[in-house]
Amino acid sequence: MVDALKPDAAAAARFRAVMLPHLDAVYGFARWLTRDPVQAQDVAQEAMLRALRYFHAFRGEEARPWLLRIVRNTWSDLRARKGANDQSLDVVEDRAAEGPDPEESALAGDRRRHVAAALAALPAESREILVLREIEDLSYKHIASVLDLPVGTVMSRLARAREKLAVELRGRLGRRDHGLPDV
Amino acid sequence: MDCPTCEAMVDAYIDGELSATESSAFETALTGCPDCRRRLEEARAMSGLLRELPADPAPDLLRARIERDLRAIAARPRERMRWMAMAASLIVALSIGWVGGSITGRGGPGEEAFVSTYLRVAASDHPVDVASTDRHTVKPWFAGRIDYSPPVHDLTSEGFPLEGGRLDVVGGRKVSVLVYRHNQHRVALSLWPTAASGNTAPKVVERDGFTLAEWRHDGFEMHAVSDIAPNEMAAFAAALDRATGADR
Repeated sequence: MVDALKPDAAAAARFRAVMLPHLDAVYGFARWLTRDPVQAQDVAQEAMLRALRYFHAFRGEEARPWLLRIVRNTWSDLRARKGANDQSLDVVEDRAAEGPDPEESALAGDRRRHVAAALAALPAESREILVLREIEDLSYKHIASVLDLPVGTVMSRLARAREKLAVELRGRLGRRDHGLPDV
Repeated sequence: MDCPTCEAMVDAYIDGELSATESSAFETALTGCPDCRRRLEEARAMSGLLRELPADPAPDLLRARIERDLRAIAARPRERMRWMAMAASLIVALSIGWVGGSITGRGGPGEEAFVSTYLRVAASDHPVDVASTDRHTVKPWFAGRIDYSPPVHDLTSEGFPLEGGRLDVVGGRKVSVLVYRHNQHRVALSLWPTAASGNTAPKVVERDGFTLAEWRHDGFEMHAVSDIAPNEMAAFAAALDRATGADR
């Protein structure tokens, strides 16, 4: 627990300015990884603490991918510790039902719920890469650094993940409103 | 451009990963390739669906927890940091020289060992292995994990609610550690049975910003570490002794 380099007050202040603005992204990614709002908070908090501990090694690269990489590692460590039990999906099934806009049509809300459920149902390897690309909007290069993979592997994994999601979506959405052409 | 090439570029195209030259080559090829156009449409549609998913912002509670961590760090003086690093090397040295030794004998673990125990409690987001204010949960948890049964008491009425328990290795031996809370602070109490008889009064000392207490009560060696004030530590020790005394 005791590291050679301990953050001090100045480091905490810099950390607050540089890293804290990305807390929503940290939590959002943790939310998709864990698929559970409570676990997501634990992962996010632990990840932020680790980030603070390693902050001396931060060299001014882009903060968000740097943090998301720590989130991802924190999550896999916790999962390994707990024996890799994947969360039940009930929580997520309901999740996108409440859109931020109360005026929203029921149809759009419904579609979102199905899309969220389809994404949540994917294996972690597909889920994480899709979230990083489509929700966090990271470039291949940044995804590669978060997942610690070569860019070529990012591309092939992303393509596979998209295929899997398409299958899931076709199973969940009717042909009417998903906008996906049939194959 | 042949179709397999064009197909392979669909993802990179919508992900904005193609150079300007590659993009225009791809767009040209697309006009002659209905299959790839369809693929592109599909990929775009799916990307659009994912991007319209609502994002939950970080909950206020999480933000508050992180702010608390940051404030705690900002409040710690630098000196102590250096000391903590030193304590880390000391504990390594102690463990090496002391494996298999009896911690009840002379040359027991020094204060550093207990401070390290405290730091493992205070600096961790996983301060206890069994989290409960109920002694009837915490006490049995130790059974089978260590070779003795420590007295466990909740001291909520005295201002020191029991938070739970954990195991630690002190001087090469597994010991029980009880974690108590006092306002925003934690107290880590390491305890193990001793052959020595008689009780001793708690000896409270301050070391590098930490408050340590050691005493013997009812056949147990007690070592408490916290960042509370010495008089609070004395109150903690007294409350614990009263609770143990009331047991009999």
